[in-house]
Amino acid sequence: MSVISQNFGIERVLRELSAAWAIARKDMRTYYLKPNIIVSGILFPLFMFLAFAIGKNAPPGTLIPGLIAITLLFSASSIEPVSIPIERRVKTFDRLLSAPISLHSLVFGESLSGFLYSLGIACLPLVIGVILFSTSIVYALTLVVAMALTAFCFATLGTLFAAYPTENVGEVMSMLNTVRLPLIFISGVFIPISAMPQIGQEIAFFSPLTYGNDMIEYAYTGTSLFSPLLDILALLIFILIFQFVANRLYKKFNT
Amino acid sequence: MFAIEVNDLTKIFGTLVAINKLNFSVNEGETFGFLGPNGAGKTTTIRILTGITQPTSGTAKIFGYDIQNEIISARQSIGIVHETSNVYDDLTAWQNMIFTAELYHVNKAEREKKSKELLEIFGLFERKDNKAHEFSKGMKRRLTLAMGLVNSPKLLFLDEPTSGLDVQSNLIIRDVVADLTQKGVTVFLTTHNIEEANVMCDRVAIINKGQIAAIDAPEQLKKTIESVQSVEVAFDKRGLEQMDELRKLPFVNEARKEGDKIKLYTEDPSAIIEEVMTYAKQKNLKIISISTLGPSLEDVFIKLTGLKARVGAAYVSD
Ligand SMILES: Nc1ncnc2c1ncn2[C@@H]1O[C@H](COP(=O)(O)OP(=O)(O)OP(=O)(O)O)[C@@H](O)[C@H]1O
Ligand SMILES: [Mg+2]
Repeated sequence: MSVISQNFGIERVLRELSAAWAIARKDMRTYYLKPNIIVSGILFPLFMFLAFAIGKNAPPGTLIPGLIAITLLFSASSIEPVSIPIERRVKTFDRLLSAPISLHSLVFGESLSGFLYSLGIACLPLVIGVILFSTSIVYALTLVVAMALTAFCFATLGTLFAAYPTENVGEVMSMLNTVRLPLIFISGVFIPISAMPQIGQEIAFFSPLTYGNDMIEYAYTGTSLFSPLLDILALLIFILIFQFVANRLYKKFNT
Repeated sequence: MFAIEVNDLTKIFGTLVAINKLNFSVNEGETFGFLGPNGAGKTTTIRILTGITQPTSGTAKIFGYDIQNEIISARQSIGIVHETSNVYDDLTAWQNMIFTAELYHVNKAEREKKSKELLEIFGLFERKDNKAHEFSKGMKRRLTLAMGLVNSPKLLFLDEPTSGLDVQSNLIIRDVVADLTQKGVTVFLTTHNIEEANVMCDRVAIINKGQIAAIDAPEQLKKTIESVQSVEVAFDKRGLEQMDELRKLPFVNEARKEGDKIKLYTEDPSAIIEEVMTYAKQKNLKIISISTLGPSLEDVFIKLTGLKARVGAAYVSD
């Protein structure tokens, strides 16, 4: 009896996962090449970064970890805030809301597309670093884990903001930008956390980018502010919080 | 067990009562129509029954599953054709079908078989690799219908399925629905097309301003307003004064021009026929045709929804 119900449970989880995967694939086919996604997910972090890098006198190779971190932030959180308002407008979102899947799977599937997108995009600075500046990577596996967790965390953040019940992409984007733009200044990407005033350091603890950036930095240089394990734990907690809050918001606004 | 069971279902948007204490049930295998004017609450009802929107109060069950707590289990056997043709414009017809099937956990072999079969039925198989944005409005509607059936639902919600379709597509849909009914599928259909409700539905609920005015088989509904009968007459010569004069005859409640005929509403058709004969003799008119008619579903609808008739039209309800 318990075996049967357990099988049923696993089967259910697999079904939910494959539906989430179908949602992610649909997003890839439909939205990855949309102009506003390319602008806010690729060009925006790039110019942002160049603006800062030019003023700095550091060797370009040392800037690669930071570039990867903000590329992950912007590209991962740019898919859902575009795709979901569009789907609300053309009513395809109703299909997702009325499918035999849980809201958790919907949120997860949507985030999955932002996650994969940003991992793909973030390979660009990674490869540029290796080829042009022969930036060395100390812990390759740590880098993979760091990038994956950071990407997923911000993809979920994007899905969370897209819960705001509007059919207007701009509305979600501007709300999201009021959060993600400050993040890049308080997370140690451009200004090391140790060089920040006390209050800045305290705020930095509440930014997921702090931990993502820290862990990526560690993978490249072998030194970091926190231990990579703490970074992993913090990122996982952020992912869970975002997933949970997103789920709640979709339920609340979906009335 | 009922396919759909609704108890005191109410939805309020701000101060607007979109649906007000709906009570009805739909038997398994039945084709049930929701007939009502714009804004009556038809779409709102479907959105609640499919769990897209939460009710303000009241309960509903789909195959015994509570729509608020157990909707995911129920959805597996539900097909929905939304009011707007909500297809993915950037996906091909085929990808739209496959994606929908995947959302409904249809296995690979089955979803390919089913997609092919449905696209063929709806005349889209040749265009399966075209992106949906290249499709005409009617083609998108047909694709939406095909997508609604890809999970072989036991219960199908059709929100104005035939809006924007030509006669031929209309007939395809009627055939498809008839075929599904044969297989025991329950169909919940909304429409403001009275004829559609009349030919397709086993039972019809007439809904107006969020409330159900009547539920019954189309023929039974017609019986409830048996008093609305009419006599249709055509004279060899037509004149503007005829309408006014006929309207003044005894027993005539109202007169309306219908093409080259005049329709006289009455409770006593035989008395009217005599009056018309006398009138024709007086005016030296020849009667080309005269016939008595029972109430149409349209008459029922107009009477129950309290719709005020157009200027010069026949119905005056209260
Ligand atoms: N999201 C919403 N917010 C506010 N009011 C709404 C919302 N959805 C529907 N309504 C209102 O509820 C009422 C019923 O709308 P509904 O869409 O159910 O009508 P309908 O019977 O489907 O009409 P139609 O034949 O035009 O499709 C309308 O007055 C509509 O304005
Ligand atoms: Mg409607």
